[in-house]
Amino acid sequence: METEQFNIRMPKELLHDLDIISNLLKVNKSEWIKAKLAEEVYEEKNKLLMELSTLYAKGMINKNKVEQLVGKEIADEMESIKIVAQRSAKHGIEYGKKLKKLHS
Amino acid sequence: MAKNSRNYILDTSAFISLESINLLDKVLHLFFVSTTNSVIEELEEFTRYDDKYGQIAKRVLGKKSKFTIKSAKIIESIKFLEVTDNEFYNLSLKDKSPLVTDETKFVHHTRDKIDVYFSPVFIILLTQSGHLSKEKALPLLEELRNIRNWRSNIIYLTIKNQLENLD
Repeated sequence: METEQFNIRMPKELLHDLDIISNLLKVNKSEWIKAKLAEEVYEEKNKLLMELSTLYAKGMINKNKVEQLVGKEIADEMESIKIVAQRSAKHGIEYGKKLKKLHS
Repeated sequence: MAKNSRNYILDTSAFISLESINLLDKVLHLFFVSTTNSVIEELEEFTRYDDKYGQIAKRVLGKKSKFTIKSAKIIESIKFLEVTDNEFYNLSLKDKSPLVTDETKFVHHTRDKIDVYFSPVFIILLTQSGHLSKEKALPLLEELRNIRNWRSNIIYLTIKNQLENLD
């Protein structure tokens, strides 16, 4: 995996607590921080994207705004999901009506 | 009641979604359903775990005689998709049948090439056709939303809005 250096200043007390965790768990401090950060980033990213997609689904923001905030790739995917969800509903309604006629 | 002539192709996610809300039997009763060998293998993989999805997968596999398992040669490949998804996509191209999935990535890459729907299409379809009451349909969508952890996503909001406005 490609990596990039990211420096961060932390309170001494927090570093001391990290030492305690590292000693007790017998894990590398950096690896432990990376794992915890990855979990948190994944959760937060999904939560925020879900909130964004809710606003988009409700028509409160448009695709351009989504693109500005999170980039073209995610905006395109959200658009696809919206289109296919609408198509699914349309197909369900239209074909459901046909089926009702067939069976009546 | 005779089966409707329409054929739908279901992937693992669609089978799991529909069975999780006990709607698969109705769908299999009304329509011809087909899938690929890879989907069966995926479902079998699920059954190795005794969790919620493992149990649902077991129930789906118990209904194997009610749907058709087909293979499709990969003639046209979408580079962003796995081999199993490409097989699935090619089956839809070959059979000219709509495909049902809850995989958003798959939908994103195939929506301009084939007819593809999310699994709640059947909640709306069966409600509109009179096979499911509107009173039962909304709680089923809520149940699916919880199982799939959809919260207030686009699929849930769109389908809910349409269901509430059905005649």
